[in-house]
Formats: sequence, structure tokens, C-alpha cells
Amino acid sequence: MIRPTNALALSSLAICGLIGLNALYAVAIGSLLVATLAYPTFLFDALLGLDGGDHWQVRAALRGVVVLGLAGAYAIHRVLRELQAIVETVRSGDPFIVGNAQRLQRIAWWVLAGEGLRVGVAGLVWCAAQFVPSVDNIDVGFSFAPWLAVLLLFVLARVFDHGARLRADLDGTV
Amino acid sequence: MAIIVRLDDKLYERRMTLTELSERVGITVANLSILKTGKAKAIRFSTLEAICAVLDCQPGDLLIHDPSQPTEE
Repeated sequence: MIRPTNALALSSLAICGLIGLNALYAVAIGSLLVATLAYPTFLFDALLGLDGGDHWQVRAALRGVVVLGLAGAYAIHRVLRELQAIVETVRSGDPFIVGNAQRLQRIAWWVLAGEGLRVGVAGLVWCAAQFVPSVDNIDVGFSFAPWLAVLLLFVLARVFDHGARLRADLDGTV
Repeated sequence: MAIIVRLDDKLYERRMTLTELSERVGITVANLSILKTGKAKAIRFSTLEAICAVLDCQPGDLLIHDPSQPTEE
């Protein structure tokens, strides 16, 4: 069985790893964006290989998806950083503070932004698909679960804020 | 805060130290010190009852209201 201190150390390590992976992802899609500008013909032939590669709308949409992907990587980076700060407060032994409630709220906003970006990506892909006759069925992958998670995060942040204030009151009680 | 804790005066009257009071009421010296110096935000009835029982006094002997003091936000 993993002891809580070990679990926290592992969580911190896992978050560091995820931050690193996310940075790699950002570099990879950033490079892809640069490549679409530097070598457009080669890249779009390789990427699309479809009958829609000649449409500027398709190329613009794919570049848009990459830009939104970069923004998504930043949103994920912010979420992971906030989560790391929360884990650190747990490790220091005092997680029930107003600062963590604010961090949870910021996570909720970043996750909401991430879902907004996902909708943007889905919209761009759907638009691009209109110019590619061979693609007749695009699955934009809509799910209620992430939106529910956003709602839960906002509620949890409020509950945490209330709890932290109650705890602060109790701190001065003799 | 406009509420003044007069624990020090009562301890002096009873010739009792904070450590002795702490042992008799079962509250840490640190917490009693917070109460004595007026840094406490609240006091439990159980704490008040234990202190009054040991010092043989009334709550009003320990706590007074001084309107000339600034009110805490």
C-alpha cells in the first residue's frame, strides 16, 4: 500500500512529468505550424493527401486547429501549474487555505477555456470537411462530461473557499 | 478589539501561573497565551467554563467591553 507522503511525492513527480510532456506537445505542434508556413506544399500533401488539399480554406482551417492546439497546451500548462501548487500545500501540511480555493477556481476557468478551444477545433474541422468531398462524416467528439467537470470544479472551489474561511475562524478559537 | 481579556489580572489575584492554569483546565499554554494577549478571535463556552471553575470567577470578571477600543473588521 502506498503511504500518503509517497503518494504526494508521486503526484508531484507525475505532474512535473505531465508539464514536460505538455511542453513537448506544444513544441511539436508549434513546429508543425512553422512547417505549414515554411513548406506548405510538402506538408499539406503529406497531411491531407486528399482531394481537399488545394483549397485555401482547408489549409487555413488546419493552421487554425494548430493555433488552437497551442492555446490548449497553454491552458493545460496553467491547470498543471495550479494543481502542482495545490499538491505542494498538501505536502506542507496546510491545504485548507483560501489560496487553494482560488487555485481551484482558476483551474475551473482554464478547463472551461480548454473546452471552448475544443469546440473551436471541432468547428474548424467541420468547416474544413465541407471542402473535402471524400470526408462525409466528421465526429467532433462532443461530450457533456468535461462541461460537468467544469461545473463541479466551480462548485468545489466555492465549497473549498467557504471551508477555508471557517477553518481560519476556528484557528483563532480557544 | 473592543473585548478585553483580563485573564492576567485574575491569575495575579489568584497567585497562579499560566502553566498551572493550563494544567488544571487542560488547555495548552500556547492557546491560553493567545487568549491572555487578546489575540483570540473566539472562545468556546467549555473553555470559559473551565477557566471560571478553576479561577472561581464569573465570565464577566474575565471579559470586559471597552467601546474606546477599535472594533475588529
